[in-house]
Amino acid sequence: MLLAIALHMLVAVIVLLIARRAGRWVFAIAAAVPAVTFAWVMSGSAATLAGDARVETLSWAPKIGLESVLRLDVLSFVMIILVSGVGAVVFAFYAAYAKPGERGVGRTAALLSVFAGAMLGLVLADDIFTLYVFWELTTVCSFLLVGGDGVSRAARRSAVQALLVTAIGGLAMLGGLVLLAEASGTYRISEIVANPPSGAAVNVALVLLLVGVVTKSAQVPFHPWLPGAMVAPTPVSAYLHAAAMVKAGVYLLARFAPGFGDVPAWWVPAVVLGSLTMLIGGYRALRETDLKTLLAYGTVSQLGFLTVLMGAGTRAAALAGITLLLAHGLFKSALFLVVGVIDRQTGTRDIRHLSGVGRQSPALAVFAVLALASMAGLPPLLGFVGKETAFEAFTYGGTDTFVLVAIALGSVLTVAYSIRFVWGAFATKTDLPDTAVSTPGIGLLGPVALPALAGLVFGVATPLASTVVDGYPAAMPFGPEASDLALWHGIGVPLGLSVLALVGGYLVYRYPASWQWLCGRLPSALNAQRGYERAVTGLDDVAHKVTGRLQVGSLPAYLGVILVAVFVVAGVGMISDTPLPAEWRWFDNPLQVPLALLVLAGAWAAVFAHRRITAVLFASVVGYGIAALFIVDGGPDLALAQFLVESLTLVVFVFVLRRFPAHFSNLKSIRSFRFGKLAVAATAGILVSLAGVLYSGARTESPTASQEYAERAVSEAGASNVVNAIIVDFRAFDTVGEITVLAVAAAGAASLILAAQRSARRPTESDEDSKASKRKEASR
Amino acid sequence: MLTSSVLTSGLLAQQGQPPGQGGAPEIDYLAILPIIIIFGAAAVGVLLEAVLPKHQRWSVQVGLSILAIVGAGLAFAYYVSDAPTEGITTIAGALSIDQPALFLWGTLLALGFGSILLIADRSVEPGGAFVAEAAIRPGTVQDRAQAQTTGMQTEVFPLALFALGGMMTFCAANDLLTMFIALEVLSLPLYLLCGLARRRRLLSQEAAVKYFLLGAFASAFFLYGLALLYGYAGSVKLADIATAAAGTDRSDALLFGGLGLLVVGLLFKGSVGPFHTWTPDVYQGAPTPVTAFMAACTKVAAFGGMLRVLTVAFESTSWEWRGVLWGVAIVSMVIGAILGLTQTDVKRMIAYSSIAHAGFLLIGTIALTDQGVSATMFYLLAYGFTTLAAFGVVSLVRDSSGEATHLSQWAGLAKRSPLIAAVFTFLLLALTGIPLTSGFVGKFVVFSAAIEDGMAPLVVIALVASAVAAFFYLRVIVLMYFSEPAEDGPTVSVPGTFTTAAITLGVAVTVLLGVLPTVVLDWATAGGGFAS
Repeated sequence: MLLAIALHMLVAVIVLLIARRAGRWVFAIAAAVPAVTFAWVMSGSAATLAGDARVETLSWAPKIGLESVLRLDVLSFVMIILVSGVGAVVFAFYAAYAKPGERGVGRTAALLSVFAGAMLGLVLADDIFTLYVFWELTTVCSFLLVGGDGVSRAARRSAVQALLVTAIGGLAMLGGLVLLAEASGTYRISEIVANPPSGAAVNVALVLLLVGVVTKSAQVPFHPWLPGAMVAPTPVSAYLHAAAMVKAGVYLLARFAPGFGDVPAWWVPAVVLGSLTMLIGGYRALRETDLKTLLAYGTVSQLGFLTVLMGAGTRAAALAGITLLLAHGLFKSALFLVVGVIDRQTGTRDIRHLSGVGRQSPALAVFAVLALASMAGLPPLLGFVGKETAFEAFTYGGTDTFVLVAIALGSVLTVAYSIRFVWGAFATKTDLPDTAVSTPGIGLLGPVALPALAGLVFGVATPLASTVVDGYPAAMPFGPEASDLALWHGIGVPLGLSVLALVGGYLVYRYPASWQWLCGRLPSALNAQRGYERAVTGLDDVAHKVTGRLQVGSLPAYLGVILVAVFVVAGVGMISDTPLPAEWRWFDNPLQVPLALLVLAGAWAAVFAHRRITAVLFASVVGYGIAALFIVDGGPDLALAQFLVESLTLVVFVFVLRRFPAHFSNLKSIRSFRFGKLAVAATAGILVSLAGVLYSGARTESPTASQEYAERAVSEAGASNVVNAIIVDFRAFDTVGEITVLAVAAAGAASLILAAQRSARRPTESDEDSKASKRKEASR
Repeated sequence: MLTSSVLTSGLLAQQGQPPGQGGAPEIDYLAILPIIIIFGAAAVGVLLEAVLPKHQRWSVQVGLSILAIVGAGLAFAYYVSDAPTEGITTIAGALSIDQPALFLWGTLLALGFGSILLIADRSVEPGGAFVAEAAIRPGTVQDRAQAQTTGMQTEVFPLALFALGGMMTFCAANDLLTMFIALEVLSLPLYLLCGLARRRRLLSQEAAVKYFLLGAFASAFFLYGLALLYGYAGSVKLADIATAAAGTDRSDALLFGGLGLLVVGLLFKGSVGPFHTWTPDVYQGAPTPVTAFMAACTKVAAFGGMLRVLTVAFESTSWEWRGVLWGVAIVSMVIGAILGLTQTDVKRMIAYSSIAHAGFLLIGTIALTDQGVSATMFYLLAYGFTTLAAFGVVSLVRDSSGEATHLSQWAGLAKRSPLIAAVFTFLLLALTGIPLTSGFVGKFVVFSAAIEDGMAPLVVIALVASAVAAFFYLRVIVLMYFSEPAEDGPTVSVPGTFTTAAITLGVAVTVLLGVLPTVVLDWATAGGGFAS
């Protein structure tokens, strides 16, 4: 299995290399790999269908439990029929569909090949990371294929939308998978499903998983990306957006249903969203005039149907689900290819312009009708068998009845748009001239015929279909035993509903007034496309606004942000838990009062100064005031250092400010922001002072160092002055270091000043200047 | 302020030993040889600036720097080959050379090597990314004259080495004072380096001033926190703080106030939102090689330090403070992801991405399990190399006025230079966290460690943030591949040996860690955690 995936990737490279010479025939080469894969899987079908799952393991990072496990079971088998079987057909079709000498075929073929490999990996993956890797790889391939060479704006927009929606869903799914794996203690999907965990975390995980499902399988409200993605070439749409990729979501649902089918957080959203999607998709398909978009909405609708069936989590629903999964992949890819043929041979796919195609190309019409009949649920096709089983699965009463009504209504719509497709594509319209059709060759018709006929064969030979799909519902532990697939179930509710759907569908098609009154009456809030656009532009707007507010390039604003954050992070914890000091004193020494007032006044005045030098002088008043407070508290050494630093700073300031304008230049802008800044600054100041008070009271550990200093001053340093002993004895090295630092700083400042003076005299000599400034920087 | 900090440090430095009982502490020279080599080479580099004639300086400084890092790497490898698993502490317990420290040293040396290569490059920009004479005022006659010269201020090499040495010390610091000194040693050269760009000098100098002023504030917070913790525990040793916090009924006010302020300083250095405000401006203004150095190495140092502080000193009280850091991580991820969307400048965009990544890293950091520690370290290594290479690529896309960092100038780059576009795309995918890149494995290990530790909601938010962030990486890819190149768009310089080597190194590690993460993960998870 690993080999098969690797082979896909290898062929992608080869195809790129030979594209120039081989032209459109690269698709034929690329078709070989899925064909071989398909044949290989079929050759081992006996064992697989008997329930004997084949497992391959590739150890990747065993340390953290990352390994790649592939597992081939019945569900994977059915998916591979679509992925590799239909894949090979589509590749072959593309060889005939591409125009000779078309540009970019190498790129498309390579991407499709990578996609086929990734899809194969996705349906085989048995550990959550392999699943996720391939899941995202299909997303990226889809993005590149939809975007094409990115020339048209519509293509780019659709590609980005498809990528965004599915990639975000993919990440949600990864989150869900990781949670699930943690809850059950294993990364292996088969083991998780075999022993499903439970609990609140698991419910969250399942909902996240469902986000992945509904985004990938284009369910409401994420469905608009799928019709948008129709800008891709038609064969690409046939493969990615009908047979393979959009099925990935349904596949995931089916994969986990045997473990979680009875968990309400899992099946309720799946069934509700699926039903809604089925109805909305069908309704939209009735209104489209572009054949391909019509099919796209039809796909949305059918995916909704599949989601209901796979999500319901009962044996009968699972049997119906997997049958329809197969049926849908076959008929929908055939229909897309039909649209491709029509588009290529007539130059249009608008039903308002097409006329007489069926008469001129009867073979194509026959195969198309075969596929459409399967979609509409006509016997004896596989689609009919599946739909009968689906109706039967919900005939057990209770809430099932609502689901039954929804899918019956959905089927009515399906029949209606199927008829619309036949009429639109093939009918000869009296008011239109016949469209010119160049007859399609076997290269185009063959790939259309193959899946369409397969639907017929599986339908007629129901036991054959049974052997293929029966293994999956057998693994479901929930719900009553499912009855076998059969063309004839006897007369009962399912048959009645099938007839009802056919008749109703015809009526809906015949009398469009029955649904047209809905047009324009649905509230616009329900428009999912607009919702997506609003979400994207809204995110952009918010980002712009926040950036404009916070990231203005202004230092005060930045500082303000940081200070506010500090209040929140540190401040709250700081204040909330701190006991107030037992006793409050306003001052220890009356001298402190005038000094404190001086400091406050200095700070106040500095803020309101108009001239730079005034502001600096007031700021240094604060510094000197604090130094004086040190003296009052009996710390002359500290005061001395503070005086020194303050004076030095002032001198440097004066020298620098000589070169500046006397007044603050942007006083006006300062004023306008003043109150906000005032608030932030005041809060910061008050908080810091408050912290000082509170913490000095909260200190519990006795300052051992100070006590030791006092005790040992006489005995070890022979000094009666403790401060002296500390400075010149206990901390002599510190003192030396401090003196050195000060000396170097002073020397640096002095040389800077001198150099500046010298360079004022001799302006060319800038080398000295730079060295001095370096020294100054280094000394700090 | 700095003088008073020296005073404080002097006062506190001696609390370890009672006065009068000095005695030289034992030093395990072999263990700290890498640091000694780096600092020694930096000091020699300063001397060389004074003695060598101008035209010889560049070659000698480059040779010395590379030699120093390689030499330190060899010494490091020799020590690691039979280092004790449980780690050692040396210099009276000031440095702890344990398994995490060694891993981070290895990371720093490797990233430092790549950064020095970028810094040394003179072929992309003739004369290098650095100004010839930093002291000349921008816009003057002399400045225009020097713009023609091809010299460069070769002090950048010793400065970078000092910063690197500071970072290595920071990761291994076992007490808060050593940590503070290391913080200053790593920060001061960086402030200076930021202001030395050859082009757009005013922007560069503005960046340096902003970084310096805000950084000084952050240092002050760190120091204030340190003082409070000393008041609480009576010691600045991490282990003593842990003991004090675990076993007493004293008021926790000082502990939490101190922790809060300390962490603010660390978060600032790690450019974690909301302490990130400097990051975009500084990343944009600084010379690109310096930005690469800061983005890769400073982050390693800051988070290395945070891991050690939180795990060693504050593990027992984690349930009290973790909620706050949850909030910080969320804010950081949201700011990085959402504000990144609006950026029109590549360097600023990567800056916001680094803020988002800082949030992811913080998630791993606060997990406080062995798994969390090793996951965070792995993430640092992976992120460092990716971002280093990304900035290397940014320096290559230029027009006549220097680097063309505006996003519109990158339109259609794939058509002009498919190789560079492909490399950059790969790096962006790694930043997004796409499988088979190191970014995925990094996110995976961090998130699984977080979930293991009961932080599932945070991981879900992180996944959403990654999704939003993916959008802006993707925008660049779309722009490069799906747009027509502008007529007068930038050209892609052919990189010289140094830049090529640096980018190749970054890309190779990003691939290797993505495809074969086991080897490095083994090392990150091996051995005995923090020693103190």
